[in-house]
Amino acid sequence: MDYQKIRKRFIPMSETMFFILFSLREENHGYGIMQDVEKITRGRIKLGAGTVYQSLSKLESDGLIQPTQEIERKKQYRITKIGEKILSEEIERIRELFQITEDFR
Amino acid sequence: MSKTRTEWFSTFRYVVPADYENWMEKLAADGWNIDKIGQWSSIRMVFKKTDPKQYRYIFDIHTSAKRDYLETYRQFGWEFVGQMASCFIWRKEYTAIRPESFTDLESIEKRNRNVMNAVMVSFILFTVITLVMIAATLLSSSSMSSEETLQMVLFTACAALFSTYLGWVVWKIYHNRDR
Repeated sequence: MDYQKIRKRFIPMSETMFFILFSLREENHGYGIMQDVEKITRGRIKLGAGTVYQSLSKLESDGLIQPTQEIERKKQYRITKIGEKILSEEIERIRELFQITEDFR
Repeated sequence: MSKTRTEWFSTFRYVVPADYENWMEKLAADGWNIDKIGQWSSIRMVFKKTDPKQYRYIFDIHTSAKRDYLETYRQFGWEFVGQMASCFIWRKEYTAIRPESFTDLESIEKRNRNVMNAVMVSFILFTVITLVMIAATLLSSSSMSSEETLQMVLFTACAALFSTYLGWVVWKIYHNRDR
């Protein structure tokens, strides 16, 4: 898919999608992602099976993540170059929002 | 002999996924449980009397369930109860916090949209059948016997009724898409 189309589909990104993509900077599987996201958000976000599966399917079909291997029947994923680019853009967008609101304080 | 309870046409009565889940959960809390759901369970389900259970049920739809779909749910501790066509039923026993499978609005709406789209296909099909039947009845009424006309009218009425019901289901799911 064309990069601009992917960009339009994912930016701005939902919090769920952001943390899943962020988590997949390192190889992981569905359940592991849930544990990782719960840890990095200090328990604030606990993703459910349906949400994780749907999100992984969407990210994979648009080429933001790719399956790497299967360990003990658990399909592992990792972020792709396109995924990294989208994630960087989203982080930059959030940073800008933060900066703008900080200037108003 | 253990007591049983038969429920008919459950998926036709509780058309919104969240309502279906709550209905199953209420039955379990009242001590009515089912261990296996199969292809015909949308028509007839037999529940057995057990101790009251606190189960969270999940109604999910997946047209081409891959192995990793089932594995993902299992890894999260969900028990596969069964499937009716492409509808999957999962459950998890809980004590304090009611577990969720869809944990953000986007995925809840996506699940409901998938269910709605599946019903929409049948709705379109039955609407087309109804319209074709009406046209056929009108065009060939002069060459048909009164008995044949009556049969055509009855068949058309049944198709129209079912089509209206499916339209109502789509409307109902659409208006409850956020839960």
